[in-house]
Amino acid sequence: MRIQVKRTGGFAGIDRHAEVDTTARPDAQEWHALAERAEAEGRGTPPVGVPDGFSYQITIDGRTVYCSDPRLTDDQRTLITRVLKEGS
Amino acid sequence: MTANPTGFEPVFCTIVPPVVLDRLAQSSDPALAKAARRTLQRDAYERTQRRLTTVIGAPSVAAPKGAEEGKPHRTIHDAKHRTDLPGRKVRGEGDKPGKDATVNRAYAGLGATFEVFFKHFERDSIDGGGLPLNATVHYGEDYGNAFWNGEQMVFGDGDREIFLDFTIPVDVIGHELTHGVVQYTANLTYFGQPGALNESMADVFGSLIKQYTLGQTADQADWLIGAGLLAERVTGKALRSMKEPGTAYDDDVLGKDPQPADMDHYVRTGRDNGGVHINSGIPNRAFYLVAEALGGHAWERAGQIWYAVLTGGELAQDASFTDFAKLTVAAARAKYGDGDELKAVLDAWAQVKVPTA
Repeated sequence: MRIQVKRTGGFAGIDRHAEVDTTARPDAQEWHALAERAEAEGRGTPPVGVPDGFSYQITIDGRTVYCSDPRLTDDQRTLITRVLKEGS
Repeated sequence: MTANPTGFEPVFCTIVPPVVLDRLAQSSDPALAKAARRTLQRDAYERTQRRLTTVIGAPSVAAPKGAEEGKPHRTIHDAKHRTDLPGRKVRGEGDKPGKDATVNRAYAGLGATFEVFFKHFERDSIDGGGLPLNATVHYGEDYGNAFWNGEQMVFGDGDREIFLDFTIPVDVIGHELTHGVVQYTANLTYFGQPGALNESMADVFGSLIKQYTLGQTADQADWLIGAGLLAERVTGKALRSMKEPGTAYDDDVLGKDPQPADMDHYVRTGRDNGGVHINSGIPNRAFYLVAEALGGHAWERAGQIWYAVLTGGELAQDASFTDFAKLTVAAARAKYGDGDELKAVLDAWAQVKVPTA
């Protein structure tokens, strides 16, 4: 599974993106479950965010959902944090 | 948001969960997909509107007992690196400083912002009616951002790799509070040009608050937004420069400051809500040019003109740079007649290539 996260906006207005390919990972199952939950809770169109809030685009094997700070679900927040931290 | 131009009302409005609408929006049946998409868009729009009207339409939150006019009513909360808002109360109005420098900075920054708006713009708090000022610090883990959520300010500690604590620059605190002022006044739509004007207002008043706390005149100010926020390894002096947009940073990781300095270099983009933090460089520089031409304290004349437009009732929610520029010309004339102020405003917009006629 290929999980991509794109973050845009924020006070600095600087984009960040990262992706994780779970294929060779020992914890792939965990990633898949988290990604599926985050995707199910996402929206098909970008929600309107708050001033200076981050907006996120999560793409899982080519399917894209959107979410924005501060209204992220716990799973979305966990997934985003992990991909931006561990991804390349 | 009154009439539906197509006359077609999607039947699944508000009943169908957003997840299903999302799936429908991607349907191969164009009629179905279009309707679902429209519902989703409207849903998102209305949710925001609801949030805005809740805040704007509601009577001001009652000031605490014993509150005096002209005094802030501050409460600082600590999210303890979680994301539940507002978090635990750690300092209320009048409480002595504690050991946490972040809490103390937020408290002082809110006070400075309140003071500038009250003393120099005769505005009692964000809503003009003594609204209590609430802020949450230590939001999230390694959270490199600060935002205004419609009701309060939220500050992260930064990741320490790129960003430090967002309460460090007082202009960042002033910036977030000014988003609140904009919400209660012109309520500029947070997208494209009105969004960039919303951002620019937040930068202008954020910078004025910094200049006020340092007692600086226009020529003494650095006109930087977010100075002191970048970690040591980042090559840059701040996040934005109102004086020279596009020159704040140039770094291997962050890239180069993308702000344009005039309308010829306006950036068309879908990212960052249509470049709200990018194109704000244009009206930011216009303000700097007015302040620099007039000299003295920037909140005295340049600031008064900008504030008159923000609060005058004529600035539309979807205003363009040109709409805004024209109103500043009118405000300068109304306030100061045919003098230096009017000339400074006309010259500034001409330099950033925004038409005023």
